[in-house]
Amino acid sequence: MTGVELILLLPLIVLSGAAVAVMLAIAVRRNYLAAFLLTLLGFVLTIMAVALSPGGPQRNVTALFVFDDFARFFIGLITGAGLFVAVLAFDYFRQQRGQFEEFFIMLLGATFGCAVLVASRHFASLFLGLEILSVSLYAMIAYSRDREISTEAGLKYLILAGVSAAFLVFGMALVYAQTGALEFSRMPYITASPDEPLDIIVLAGFGMIIVGIGFKLALVPFHLWTPDVYQGAPAPVTAFIATASKGAVFALLLRLFAQTDVAFYPPLYVTFVILAIASMLFGSWLALLQNNMKRILAYSSIAHLGFLLVAFMGRGHIQSTAAAFYLTAYFVTTLGAFGIVSLLSPGERDAEWIEDYRGLFWRRPFVAVVFSVMIFSLAGIPLTGGFVGKVLVILAGEQAAQWALVVVLVTASAISLFYYVRVVGIMYMPAEAGGADRPALPGLSLQGGGALACLTGLLVLLGVYPGPFLDLVRDMVTTVYAGVLPR
Amino acid sequence: MPATVEIAVFWPFFVYFGCVIVLVAGMVGVSYVLGSRHWERATGAPFESGIVTTGSARVGVPANFYLVAMLFVIFDLESVFLFAWAAVVRQVGWTGYVGACVFIVMMAAALVYLWRVGALEGR
Repeated sequence: MTGVELILLLPLIVLSGAAVAVMLAIAVRRNYLAAFLLTLLGFVLTIMAVALSPGGPQRNVTALFVFDDFARFFIGLITGAGLFVAVLAFDYFRQQRGQFEEFFIMLLGATFGCAVLVASRHFASLFLGLEILSVSLYAMIAYSRDREISTEAGLKYLILAGVSAAFLVFGMALVYAQTGALEFSRMPYITASPDEPLDIIVLAGFGMIIVGIGFKLALVPFHLWTPDVYQGAPAPVTAFIATASKGAVFALLLRLFAQTDVAFYPPLYVTFVILAIASMLFGSWLALLQNNMKRILAYSSIAHLGFLLVAFMGRGHIQSTAAAFYLTAYFVTTLGAFGIVSLLSPGERDAEWIEDYRGLFWRRPFVAVVFSVMIFSLAGIPLTGGFVGKVLVILAGEQAAQWALVVVLVTASAISLFYYVRVVGIMYMPAEAGGADRPALPGLSLQGGGALACLTGLLVLLGVYPGPFLDLVRDMVTTVYAGVLPR
Repeated sequence: MPATVEIAVFWPFFVYFGCVIVLVAGMVGVSYVLGSRHWERATGAPFESGIVTTGSARVGVPANFYLVAMLFVIFDLESVFLFAWAAVVRQVGWTGYVGACVFIVMMAAALVYLWRVGALEGR
């Protein structure tokens, strides 16, 4: 291992080192504020390491990792999400009774798992990253131990994630048995010509890998855990699952299928089309029936992953650029939306019922306006990042001549407008008289308000002036195709 | 390997598999036919060497065993990795040495943490 390789690995080293440092700090002296500040320092140092690390073409570090601009971009994005989740969690757990210092170790660990995922070029590092992420998430989801619903959600996630990991590993084993390759770059063209059908064992292997990944991305029909886990998990953890966990797995999917062309063999391609259509329609439709904000956002995130798959269904720079841009806008929006749920939660329960938001504008104008911006972005209304993202995704689908997918996307967006508008409408209704029996919503802290303002600013910037960021994403995406020979 | 050759090689396995099925089905089937069917007052009660059971089976058991077992598994597994390193210590050279050192330091940090939070106290 050379010095350059160590510098390339620095973001991963800093993240894991920060987790150990927080653990030792707790061992020396248990202090909530100190653990939080150390975690923030770890995230900031990681982002600095990402910014300073040499960019450019693919650089392989051992057989397991690759550090190109694609990996750097997503490590930066995920670490940023981790940073916001840390700020949200600090305010969230401060109001509860108990010891919450260890939460930050888990958060750093989960972020580390995500970073391993987006930089992996080998099935072994893929699986290790996924397991580091999952094991940290089990504990994070069940962290509010005295709440029955939180423990239940943790257990559900444990069992289902275990089953999906089994599918994933078995799929990898089948692919390995037939191709003898564990590195993505060594299995680019499994058949001699695109017309030749895929070997049945390789097909089964990739099918099982799609099941495992589909679970993590909560695509219909692997989505059944999503609403329950989103509702049961503490709100900052929900924000993390919806953004960093899904984003890392999606980035991995982009890399895996940018370097191999198996996704474009007819059986697998049709599978992805069906997953995308089902996710868009079911996600939008089932959210109409919900009265719980966290469940609404859960179904909304299922629909959004369906939209993302539309951009994924073409093997080109336009599609990948659209997917990466959409994912970034989704990160900012979802962090903002769950951030508000988290910051408005009093100590004894989460502000998850839609009734909690009745007349929010008249009590908390700032929070209500921020929430409206987030919801508009989720719905894809202009002047927000979500709008630009959706335009790019539709363009990408149109370029790939996926008209069915584009039509379903537009239909699902129209359906989803109903529940988004309903949430916004409730916030601007006059506060009802009988609201006194509900516990008062806690005040916004300086760092919480700052985080929300920052996310809103980013979202509007992405929506109004996306040019520079789009250029960055376009350059970044080209690196993931580097080294892949055209057939 | 063609399918016919596989069957030629593995036929004892299939015979064994068939024998297992027949044996188990026979045991269950014969006892179903020959077994007595009666329903008395104490038929459904658990058999405790003839003594009438007292209390519920759902009693709280201290979880200390569990904790000790977990700690044992964690630190036992560590040594497994170190054995794997020991087997190839010359081939992997200084890189492997640094890697093993990082691993040991991390585990030591975990041990310090466990000790400080009181997980090692057998209360």
